[in-house]
Amino acid sequence: MSHSKMKSAIDTFLKGKMSRRDLLIKAGKYGIGFAALTKLMGMQVTSALAAQDFDWKKHSGTTIKLLMNKHPYMDSMIAELDNFKALTGMNVEYDIFAEDVYFDKVTAALSSKSSEYDAFMTGAYMTWTYGPAGWCADLNDFIQDSNKTNPSYNWNDVVGNLRDACSWSGVAGDVPGAAGSKQWCMPWGFELNSVTYNMRYFEKAGMKPPGDLVEMTDQAEYFTKNAGSNEWSYGIGTRGSRSWATIHPGFMSAYANYGLVDFENNGGKLKAAMNSQASKDFHKQWVKMISSSGPANWSGYTWYEVGNDIGAGASAMIFDADILGYFFNGNPENKEAGNFGFHGFTPNPSASAPTPNVWIWSLAMSNFSKKKDAAWYWMQWCNGPENAMAGGVKHNQVNPVRESVWASGDFDDKIRGTSPGYMEQYNSSIDGSKIHFTAQPLFFETTTEWAAALQEMQTGSNVDETLDKLASKIDRMMKDVGLA
Amino acid sequence: MSINIWSILKFFAYVAIIMFFLFPIAWIFNMSFMTNDEILRKVPVLFYEPTFKNYIGLWEGEIAIEGFATMYVYFKQNLINSAILSVGSVSVTLLLGVPAAYAFARYKFKGGEDIAFTLLSFRFAPALLIILPLNLYFSEIGLYDSYFALIWVYQLITLPLLLWIVRGYFEDISPDIEYAYRLDGHSWFQSFWKISIPLAKPGIAAASLLCFIYAWNNFVFALILGSSQIQPVTVGALAFITASAIPYGLIACGIVVSVLPTLILALFIQKYLVQGLSLGAIKG
Repeated sequence: MSHSKMKSAIDTFLKGKMSRRDLLIKAGKYGIGFAALTKLMGMQVTSALAAQDFDWKKHSGTTIKLLMNKHPYMDSMIAELDNFKALTGMNVEYDIFAEDVYFDKVTAALSSKSSEYDAFMTGAYMTWTYGPAGWCADLNDFIQDSNKTNPSYNWNDVVGNLRDACSWSGVAGDVPGAAGSKQWCMPWGFELNSVTYNMRYFEKAGMKPPGDLVEMTDQAEYFTKNAGSNEWSYGIGTRGSRSWATIHPGFMSAYANYGLVDFENNGGKLKAAMNSQASKDFHKQWVKMISSSGPANWSGYTWYEVGNDIGAGASAMIFDADILGYFFNGNPENKEAGNFGFHGFTPNPSASAPTPNVWIWSLAMSNFSKKKDAAWYWMQWCNGPENAMAGGVKHNQVNPVRESVWASGDFDDKIRGTSPGYMEQYNSSIDGSKIHFTAQPLFFETTTEWAAALQEMQTGSNVDETLDKLASKIDRMMKDVGLA
Repeated sequence: MSINIWSILKFFAYVAIIMFFLFPIAWIFNMSFMTNDEILRKVPVLFYEPTFKNYIGLWEGEIAIEGFATMYVYFKQNLINSAILSVGSVSVTLLLGVPAAYAFARYKFKGGEDIAFTLLSFRFAPALLIILPLNLYFSEIGLYDSYFALIWVYQLITLPLLLWIVRGYFEDISPDIEYAYRLDGHSWFQSFWKISIPLAKPGIAAASLLCFIYAWNNFVFALILGSSQIQPVTVGALAFITASAIPYGLIACGIVVSVLPTLILALFIQKYLVQGLSLGAIKG
């Protein structure tokens, strides 16, 4: 009896006619614990989907295989996977690899045209290689087909900038999302690059989070100079390894905020623009900040070191992915967990709002899959509105890519309750967020060269000369492939 | 009694050398009993309450982080995979490599040296050069993701190594001993089994250990040619690093556990190892 009453209460909740608090009170009244409640909710969502005028059982009995990166998004998907299996009667197998080797595995599988995997996790940048090479399917063929896509899928609920960022025409210099673009992947979770700071340290120093890049440099210097007698070791954490991953987070977000670009596009011919005078001035400021107040072994820093340092209390703030701060803030194994504040950051004093460069964990379909339609069933469920809501509210699917999740009171409560400033950071940053790089097939090679140049400048090379050398080297690389 | 200053200096030099080589290992062992908080203190902690949490988590494969998430590690399976792949590879190598080494050492036949050098050249080719074509073929013929396929591919590493090392040992053994044994009415196989192999045992043991270490440490073949179900410790260990924390204690624990099999094996065959290496040293 209480079970059926609870199901009816969940139904009311899912229709938006009951608050989360009321639902929890009702669950308590009927003696239903939180774990049982979430399970019931999953079942109820599955029943609601099954009731749609859409044949979810079309591929019943089919097994698909996924290639996944070890990530909280993947954990969140697996936690809900039984609902998908119950809904469709399909079986899902998956291989999980650590991020350090994940993309090697993906590249090997796709370049050898293996049909082993039907769908896989990827980043939007990677599809600039995979898409034009014919390794992944154009998802427009599925999204636009009402016979293949369930009526409540609502593609337009996915944040527009992210939808655009995951599509591209394949022509170097064309803006992602422009007319003629193919949808190489679909956004699943994403990160904005903002400031995460240790509130305890900032309070002790009597500071507010930085207003611009110069203030950030000054604050970072203060923390580094005063590290001796305090808990922290240095001021600002950013990535520094010789990799594209050093350029795309805080660095590119700040670079774009100053109105700077990586390439000038002259009718499809690209010319490196890192050595413009404004770019040189920006690099000098960035290098000054890293040299005076970054970590001692900055040139080896990746996501993990940056996160680890703020988690352990070694750095006072980071300019990196917002979810990096979110995850490390939430994990009680980290010493400073719970002490982080979040801040939408506008590095350029003349700019009106942040312009974070985005990284988007996305889902793509292998073009060599022999079960594309079945794989699409999993994909539309995985980033569909119901599963996105479950991921955002019940698990760690943060940042969610659907506007409906951001607008949900439950998600808002959850984030505001754990991460001060996070919602404000999102709201101030999302409009200016996009991929600020020029889409081109040598993205990884050129950004790795850029990171190498940054390392040289950090160790004392002349900024102007290093950037001139970098630009001419990149121009040569582009010329070799007929793009300059 | 006069104090010999050189003896004292020598003693301190030995201590310094031992410290230099053993300190990282000792510190990793130490870390495996610490919590992340203790490991990441600004001033390193020397005295702490040891915890077995890391070893328990590694064994159980599940580490619950209260109020956040549950971390799953498949290290036990990775360890079993490493053992299957390494033992399997060395066994196949011994089966094929020892008779082949004997043949190359004892018999001169047309194209013999060319074949031996071709086998050696497998060691020259960078793994990344051959891995993609292999992936393509293995997918075509249904060998992707199998222990059999990986053991086969591991022969590229282990077989030339064993063949060339053991060949040298067979060449060092005088054939007259074998001839004398065969004059007593024994067959060729009996002389190979009862005379040649026991005499070359130190070399075979040393080469086997090296093959085992190379197979155990291999990373790229299993990564590309297998699913996550058959990955060895070298690939599996990377999964400790997560988006929300680097559990250094767990990583240290994984290192300690994954070094143990090689260490135990080396201790067991230490006697042969020393003989094997010294035999090689006085050759020529």
